[in-house]
This record gives sequence, structure tokens and C-alpha cells, in this order.
Amino acid sequence: MKKLFAVFLLLFLFPDAHAEEAYVLKFATLAPQGSTWMNIITDWANKVEKESQGRLKFKLYGGGVSGDEPDVLRKIRFGQLHGGAMTGHGIGYIYSPTRVLEIPFLFSSYDEVDHVRAQLMPEIREGFHQNGFELLGWMEVGFIQLFSRAPIYSIDDMKKSRIWLWQGDPLGTAFFEASGLSPVPLPITEVFTSLSTGLIDTTIAPPLGAIALQWFTKTPYMTSMPVMDGIGGLIVSRKFFDGLPNDLQKLLRRTGEEAGARLLVETRRDNEKSLAVLKQHGVTFTSEWKDKDSDLYDLRDRAAAILAKDGYIPAPLYEKARKSLNDYRAHKGKK
Amino acid sequence: MPHTPKSLPRSKTALMSIPRKLARATICLCGALLGACSMGQMVARSSLPIIESGNVAMNRETDLDLARAAIPANLKLVEGLIQELPDNADLRLQAAQGFYGYAYGFVEDEDNRRASGLYRRGWEHARQALAASGFQGDLAAMTTEELKRQLAGLSRRAVPALFWSASCWAKWIDMNRNDPARIADMGKAAELMERVLALDENYYHGGAHLFFGVYYGARPPMLGGDFERSAKHFEKARAITHGKLLLVDMLQAEYLAHQLLDRKQFHERLIAVVNAPSDIYPEMALVNAIAQQKAGRLLAKEEEWF
Repeated sequence: MKKLFAVFLLLFLFPDAHAEEAYVLKFATLAPQGSTWMNIITDWANKVEKESQGRLKFKLYGGGVSGDEPDVLRKIRFGQLHGGAMTGHGIGYIYSPTRVLEIPFLFSSYDEVDHVRAQLMPEIREGFHQNGFELLGWMEVGFIQLFSRAPIYSIDDMKKSRIWLWQGDPLGTAFFEASGLSPVPLPITEVFTSLSTGLIDTTIAPPLGAIALQWFTKTPYMTSMPVMDGIGGLIVSRKFFDGLPNDLQKLLRRTGEEAGARLLVETRRDNEKSLAVLKQHGVTFTSEWKDKDSDLYDLRDRAAAILAKDGYIPAPLYEKARKSLNDYRAHKGKK
Repeated sequence: MPHTPKSLPRSKTALMSIPRKLARATICLCGALLGACSMGQMVARSSLPIIESGNVAMNRETDLDLARAAIPANLKLVEGLIQELPDNADLRLQAAQGFYGYAYGFVEDEDNRRASGLYRRGWEHARQALAASGFQGDLAAMTTEELKRQLAGLSRRAVPALFWSASCWAKWIDMNRNDPARIADMGKAAELMERVLALDENYYHGGAHLFFGVYYGARPPMLGGDFERSAKHFEKARAITHGKLLLVDMLQAEYLAHQLLDRKQFHERLIAVVNAPSDIYPEMALVNAIAQQKAGRLLAKEEEWF
């Protein structure tokens, strides 16, 4: 009887002792199963599990099963989740100054984006850290364009449009306030229907987003000039990260950085492909913008001033981004 | 294309031995028939009822291994008949349904690339059937407005072609979720199925309702999902099939319950599917057996998904 008891004890104890060694990172994303994002995140998870010899595992919640990004952040605070792939929407709730990289009419090429981001990255990382998160990898949603029923060539054209504003988004709100436009605030879930009913006739999205959400079927025109760059990051809560042994922390950082770099490249490629698909589907790209650059820069600066006043994006950080961009442009011009 | 009546000279010689008058009349009759179609076409046409019965028999099959082994040969037979009768909508629909069923039941869980190719072939056949129902122009190239206009002009006769076009197309897209060119067509596939819903919601065991149960249940609201609508469509499909089509519960668990992170619903529905008697719906025994097999696979994923 004693022997039998000992066997039972062993059976019960061993799996437990083993489980204690394995850390499980519960990680959420809106990206659907089989999408480029989810494929890369899955590769990342497999790599971590393999290289840690099973000591660190991912449990992936893809396709938005954990809710939208604010839901995911709430679940992280309650300890039900530990990390996720976030876009600017969610990042705004973690460390809003990061969204300096999303200020409208700031960047005109991905080279500029990459240069300025590299300059600001130490500050951004520190901001995440101070706010209870670690930024493991950087990715992006990509350049965001205006999609509309009628062609748009200027801010004046925009004034004549019924433009969607993502309800509650501080960045969009500041932009519209600065430009004197009156947008139509709606949750993102109502955009497609509202484009159909005519409540709105203009929306913003990255090319891949406009396809995935089928918005492009309602908007025959797209501006070639990007309105802004949509950011994104692979994040983990410090509560989880700090509990990991040093070697696993290093592993997660290194592989997270690699996954982010891959996501960045692949997302840009997907957006490039999406532009071709949009063209095939008869979307007309309007390339000539009538406003002078200086007018757009004024507008951009006014929006930034509003965001600084609210403390959403501190003025010094915006200045730093602008200076870095100007330096880059001047340097590039000399080449 | 082998449409020329190669056997004609031999037939003529053979006919010489029978009385002349009769022979002349027979030749006239043959000539009239052969003028309209070749020997191969005649044979193909006469085998249509057999193909149809074969389909009925396949749907009643309960042995998955037998079905898995038998369907490819049937598909090639149907494709062979299509060589003879390329404009025959019934054959095209048989092929579309066959490719869909084979890819869904036996390929997609193991080999995404192969399934993608099979769904695409099914879609190509269904498109031909759709053209035979009066649909004009290139489905893939036309605008959504033009598509809607054309769909509005189609009658109930077009329902099978619409249903299998939409089904194969959506699955082909589903196998290619990382390709913007495919994703862009999802709205059009849904438009076709909307028309099925309007013309005959009962077609193929309420299949259009199943389609929209998945369509609205497989995505978060932010990306166009709508859980209430999804649940209503599943309910409707369940009502139409009197709860006998196990695919309904299996799909509701796989998509809606998963999307809602509702583990209890997921588990209970799938357990019910697995435990259902195999003779609950004899006309659809094969689909039910596939649903039971898939339910087992999904239950194995429960720990990973929730």
C-alpha cells in the first residue's frame, strides 16, 4: 500500500515539478490565423520555445479572440494575459508620446521613418519600461492614406468631405482641431456601414487595412501622399518579464527584435502588394497635392502643439523628431 | 478536342446488312443526332443520371477512408465528361461540389497549399456554371456595383451556381489569408451568397446561413465580425436541418465559440457532435462523419486555444 502511494505521489509530483520550470507567455493579437503577422508571431513563439528548450512557451490568442487592444491591455493588468502585438491605438494607452511617430504629414518616405525612429528609440523604450511594459520588437501598420468617394487634392477638398474620425482618438482629434475640419466621430466597427449609407465618404487606412476591411469597395479614390505612418510594437508586461530568469529575458528580447524586424519588412511588402491589388480593382490614386509643403507643415505643427498642451506628446519629443527629420532631409539633399 | 465522330465509318459499314430503307432512316437519324453532338457527348449526356446517383450515394457514405479513396476517381470522371460537355452546368456543379467536399473533408487540415489549389479548381468550375445561368462578364474583374446589378437579375435557377461559386471562392480566399489579392475578393464572395440567401435560404441544407455564421463569427468586430448575426445564422441553419446536420454545431464551435473565447460552449457543442449517432441524417452521412472527425481534432486543440 505504501509503495502504491509512493507511485501515485511520483505521478502527481513529477508533472508539477516540470511545469514549474516552464514559463507561459500569453500573447494576444488582432491578426487572424494564417495572416502574415500571425505567421511571423507563430515562428517567433516556436523559436523561443525551441531555443529555451521548452522553458519559455507562448500561448497565442490570435484573430482578436481576446478583444480589441484596450481589452487586451485590461486583461494584461488583471494578469489574464502578459503581452501582445499593439498598434498605435493600444500604444497610446501605454506610453502616448510614442505616437509622435504618427503625427500627420510628418514623414514622406519609410527611410525617413526608420531614421527618426532609430534616434528616438532609447527614449521610447524607457517610456514603455517606466509604464510597466517592455518593448520587445518594433513593427508598423505602415503608411496610412485617405480613401474617398471623390478625389482629394487638398485640405480644402477634405473640408468638403465627411471624414471619419476614430472616436476617442486624441491624435485624430488634435489634427482635425488644428485644420478646422469637422469630422464624423465613429467607432471603427461602424466605418464600413457608414461608408455604405453615406454618413461618411472618406476614411483613412493603410492599403492592406483598406482591403482587409473591404472599405476600398466603397472608395474609388486614394491619395498617394501618406497622411501618417501607423506604428506598432510587440510588448510584454514587466510583471511577467521581470519574473523571468536573465537568460530567458535576453532570449525574448533578441528574438522579439528579430520578429519585429521581419514584421516591418513583410508589412511594407504586403502594403506594396496591396497597392497593386487596389489598382487592379479600379481604385484611382491621386498623386498631385495642391497645398504647399509649408502649409502642411504649419498644420502639422499646430496639431503637435495641441497634443503637447494636453501632455499627450510632450513638445520636446516632437521637437527632437522634427530636428532629426530636418537633419536627415538636409543630409540626404547633399548626397 | 475529341468531338469528331470517329466511329461513324464503321457504323455505316455495319448498317449495310440491314434492309435499305431502315438503314437510310437510321443513318438519317444518326446524322441528325451526330450533327448536334458527338458520340462522346452522347455517352456523356446519358451518364449524367449515373453521376447524379453516384453523388447521392457518396453523400450517404459513412466510411471516411472509402470516401477519401473514391472521390478523386469520381472527380476525374466528372472532369472527363466536362471535356465532352464543357457547357453543361450540372457537370460543372458536380465538379465544384466534389472539389469543395474533397478539399474540405480530406485535405485542408493537412495541406493548406493543396487545398488552395483544389478550391480554386472548384471555383473555376462553378464560375462556368454561373455563366451558363446567365451571369455575364468576369466575376473577378468587375466592380462591386456591376456585380450587384448582375446578381439582381438572376433568378432562383442560378442558386446552385451562386452557392458553389461563393463557397469555393471563400474557401480559396480562406486558404490564402496572407495574400492581399485574395483577401480583396471576400466581399464579392459574400455578395454572391447574399443573393442565395435572398433567393433560396434552404438551398443545400441552409448552406448560406452556415456561410454567414462563419463569415460573421470568425472575426473580431473590429475586422467586420458580428457575433449576434453569426449566432442567428447558425440558429437558422440548425432549424432548416432540424438539428441533424452536425456541421452546424461543429462550425459554430470552431468559429463563433472560439472567437468569443467561450470554452464551455466550444466543448459542449463538439462533445455533442462527437457523440451523435452516425445514422442521424442518412442523406448527409458523409458530411456528418467529416464533421465528427473534425470535431475530434478541434477538441484536441481546446487546451491550446483557451
